[in-house]
Amino acid sequence: MIYMKFFSLLKRSLQWFFPATHVRSSRMHDLLLFFCVFAMALAVSIPLSTLFDDNNPFSMAVFILVVALIARYTDGYLYGVAASILSVLCVNYIFTYPYWAFNMSLMGYPLNFAAMLIVSLIISTLTTQNKRQAQLQLEIEKEKTRANLLQAVSHDIRTPLTSIIGSSSVLLEHEQLPAEERHELLSSIHRDAQWLSRLTENILSITKVSSEHVTLKKDTEVLEEIMGSAITKFRKLHPEIEITVHKPEEILLVPMDATLIEQVILNLMDNAAIHGGHTSRISLQVEQLPYAVRISISDNGGGFSEESIPHLFDGSAPPGSHSDAKRSMGIGLSVCRTIIKAHGGGIHACNTPSGASVFFTLPVQEE
Amino acid sequence: MRVHKNKILIIEDDTGIIRFLKSCLAENGYDVITASNGQSAMGIIHSHCPDLILLDLGLPDMDGNDIIRSVRTWTKVPVVVISARSTEDDKAQALDLGADDYLTKPFGTIELLARIRTALRHTRTTAEDDQIALQGVYTVGELNIDYRKHIVTRGGVNVSLTPNEFRIVALLGRHAGQVITYKYMLRELWGPGASSDNKILRVHMASIRRKIEPDPDQPRYIFTEIGVGYRMASDED
Repeated sequence: MIYMKFFSLLKRSLQWFFPATHVRSSRMHDLLLFFCVFAMALAVSIPLSTLFDDNNPFSMAVFILVVALIARYTDGYLYGVAASILSVLCVNYIFTYPYWAFNMSLMGYPLNFAAMLIVSLIISTLTTQNKRQAQLQLEIEKEKTRANLLQAVSHDIRTPLTSIIGSSSVLLEHEQLPAEERHELLSSIHRDAQWLSRLTENILSITKVSSEHVTLKKDTEVLEEIMGSAITKFRKLHPEIEITVHKPEEILLVPMDATLIEQVILNLMDNAAIHGGHTSRISLQVEQLPYAVRISISDNGGGFSEESIPHLFDGSAPPGSHSDAKRSMGIGLSVCRTIIKAHGGGIHACNTPSGASVFFTLPVQEE
Repeated sequence: MRVHKNKILIIEDDTGIIRFLKSCLAENGYDVITASNGQSAMGIIHSHCPDLILLDLGLPDMDGNDIIRSVRTWTKVPVVVISARSTEDDKAQALDLGADDYLTKPFGTIELLARIRTALRHTRTTAEDDQIALQGVYTVGELNIDYRKHIVTRGGVNVSLTPNEFRIVALLGRHAGQVITYKYMLRELWGPGASSDNKILRVHMASIRRKIEPDPDQPRYIFTEIGVGYRMASDED
């Protein structure tokens, strides 16, 4: 944590001095690390070397540590190898007799060099392998979520489609239906089509977040504006539900992809309205945490069943576990989790004395 | 006396959508002509001079944005885009090219008709019946923008906007019912050299909402089109 803070600070100061540098963030990080570690090693070793009169044997150890550190904490082999070469030169130039001059005939020089190089290569290889492994694990995890999601989606599509196909074929086949019944069938078609339309919106959001090359379109947004927009849309869907908002007085600026966060808020409110059973009131609360904002959406409905809570967001909620099993809430909530995770935040659900509550956090500081 | 019917050109390639638009618009007293591709659409626009164009951006033979571009070189006929492209950038682009409004598929007929009426009114209003030009005020609900005295009142009470805030509200009021993009607003308010950073605009907006909205969390007068811009409420809302 301190390490990250330190580097974000360094990076910012560097960008301040060289505003035109548009180096990719990880490259920049590696380069900075490289120079910092070297500078620190020199800062420690040079004063120390003046204390001794010999060939400063400690310097070798210090620079092996330098090579190891750089190889471990940078990407690929480049910096590790560069560090080993530079270290050997440094040790030779500064710390061994003759001081501040190169002496290529020094005993064991090739050995030193080989040792440093091998240390850097071994550690770089291990680090790279480790990273690849983690990447693979992440891929598997993603694949799993995707499969769960697809399952939830096809379930969510099939139900309203069945109703649309059924209702419309009844209308086509029986032309003499009483007006009231016709109207009922038509409005059920209308309702289900709207449901499908919202589902499409959710699937679209997911593809935005989970496709490899698309990154979030993060911008600094006025949080209340996004919430206001979500509430306006929600009112059109459920005008009968009362909404209250509690938020800090000041204007909160939060980096986010606005359309996606709007979708999250809308999904959570929609969920509270549809699945709460008898929800008549939804309250939104915004709290400022040290490095994040927390937004909670609470309702006065029936709450979640206790056994469903751990599975709410992974799209695998056991069917029938909720008051309205016809419409699984899988996709809506897993979309929320995917979006929030992509923002570096967290999302959780719990029951309250009066109903259900879902809250999510969004980090306030930009990476 | 025969009432003049507004003529609407639908440029769309999906027959299902054409059918429903046609019956919906005809039912509501509009004359409807259709074109199923860009080429024939361009011809019809020149020969029939429609009062409004409903345009689908995804046409088989050309990009709908090209139609907006070419139409805007010689006529101000209102163009309402109906499209399945839903990213904010698509919307902002079409609006900045000169489209009057943008509806994402799927949309409801009520919304469509409201947007059509708004778009028609904006090009139709002549100096005589334009409320702003005539009385120097725009009124919606309890909100009243006085363009002569440069004040905004809600329920008769002055909400004390700062000069910059007034300019923003005034601009939105002049285009009430239409989505105004950030880009357009920045250019109109701070000139062509204005930075493209719309954060300042949004902070102003948060402060405006605290003054003019009875409940800023559930706006009734200024709506946000996320990633695109703002829209002032009109009588249609």
